Amino acid sequence: MKEKLKLLRMLFVLMVCLLLSSVAFAQDQAAPSLQIDKTLLKNGGVIKVTGKVPAGQQVYLEVWAADKGVRASMFDSKKDPKTGVVPYVFYQTYDMPAYYKIFVPVDKADKIAELKKAGKKWSYSEAIKELGAEAAYNVPAKMKTDRYKATLMASVIGSRGKLLEPMDDKENKKRSMQLVKARFREIDKVLGAEVTVSPDGAFSADIKIREGLAPGKYNIVAVTDNKVKSAPAVFENSISFPMLYLKTAGTSQNILWPFLICLVISIFGVLMGAGGGFILNPILVSLFPLPHTVVAGTVTPTVLFSQGSGIYNYSKIKFINWKLGIAIGCSMLLGAFIGPKLTELITLDQFKFAFGWILLVLAGLMYWQTTAGYLAKNKKEQAILKEFKKRAEEAAKAKQ
Amino acid sequence: MKVNFWGQEFEANMIVGCIGGFFIAIMSSMFGFGGGPFMVPLMTVGLGLPMYIVVGSSLLAIFFSTTMSSIRHFQFGNFDLILFLCMFPAALLGGYIGPQIAKRVSPIIVKRVACVGLVLLGLNLLGVY
Repeated sequence: MKEKLKLLRMLFVLMVCLLLSSVAFAQDQAAPSLQIDKTLLKNGGVIKVTGKVPAGQQVYLEVWAADKGVRASMFDSKKDPKTGVVPYVFYQTYDMPAYYKIFVPVDKADKIAELKKAGKKWSYSEAIKELGAEAAYNVPAKMKTDRYKATLMASVIGSRGKLLEPMDDKENKKRSMQLVKARFREIDKVLGAEVTVSPDGAFSADIKIREGLAPGKYNIVAVTDNKVKSAPAVFENSISFPMLYLKTAGTSQNILWPFLICLVISIFGVLMGAGGGFILNPILVSLFPLPHTVVAGTVTPTVLFSQGSGIYNYSKIKFINWKLGIAIGCSMLLGAFIGPKLTELITLDQFKFAFGWILLVLAGLMYWQTTAGYLAKNKKEQAILKEFKKRAEEAAKAKQ
Repeated sequence: MKVNFWGQEFEANMIVGCIGGFFIAIMSSMFGFGGGPFMVPLMTVGLGLPMYIVVGSSLLAIFFSTTMSSIRHFQFGNFDLILFLCMFPAALLGGYIGPQIAKRVSPIIVKRVACVGLVLLGLNLLGVY
């Protein structure tokens, strides 16, 4: 009997111990609390985030635009170091948050500074690992991402290639990190060291939301390094005219600027006899955070109409040789069918590099048009042109 | 191919014209510009046609490529309506104001200024400064 009681007592002690430890464990696993000081921003601002986590733990804040997604794409043409095969796979998602940033503890600021030394070749996945922020990287990992096997033939006929089977979660997460980098490009846009954690577990952070970001709801979630998440805190970013949200670019833009720039450049374009696209494109991609695909895709229809009116004016005085124009135009149709596909396959830096050279060649052509020999030839032809114009006007008058 | 223009006949080498046009179209649609400044030298130097045929006809050829390129960019989701709506009126207005100023300035000076501007912009894109 005594033995039995002893056993029972021991069992009891054991149970209490277990209970206590599980309470302690639960405390360790307790979800972080999270408060924010305001819920409405007007085109950016600073939000103070405060909260509490179990003492001694690190806190990461994952902040993202909850209701605005944009397209992000990336072309993997890097040789696989193991197999030596170039994959040529095109990854694309429509679910990339228009804003995505992970805030890490302040003491990791020097690590971020070190990562920046890699310049444009920094790797987002390495940065996340280096900063210990894997637990906070959640939202983009679940993006639905399509991948296409690009082939030369597919590119020639202007298709993205064969749609491959969906990726597993791990692969999806890995690729999503590359897409995050392709979309946001700079370290400062996706990582910031702002969270101060005191030894008792209370933390605070000033989260700065830039101007010109997407309007709508943003979520903030605090994650501890034990992978425990807080409930999301929601705030709203609002913008008002002349700021407008550009859906494909995922940013807000004061639209008066593109208007003014386009006006000045199209006037100048008329003067120098070249369409505005040459200057408009590089200026737009340099000044504003717009993807080069969107810039190219939007400027093209803009110049379309000035060309149309030019053709109309020339056709009125019968200065178009339709046979010649249509014959060359048909071969250009084929070329233009392929070109826009290639825009997606290159990165912004490659776009700028190629455009830089194109502009230098163009400058050479412009200079050639001001040399003496060219001008002399031009003068003779101008005289013929005038003669033809006169005849055309007379013909028009005769008709009336 | 024989080209007839206001009673004069010219011989144009269409193979050079079509291949050149094809590559200029790829480049211009890829980077989103018209391509006129490249088409004009191709047709004057490459095909040996006089300037007065080239100005109108090259514009027609480019119109084909720009139309196709606009459609394709739209298909790939590269077209942003709001950005377009704020640039389009500016382009129209510029097309109206431009010719009025053009009468008063020397085209050679404009081209030299453009030349310097293009070199600066090009070097900037290449990251030289």
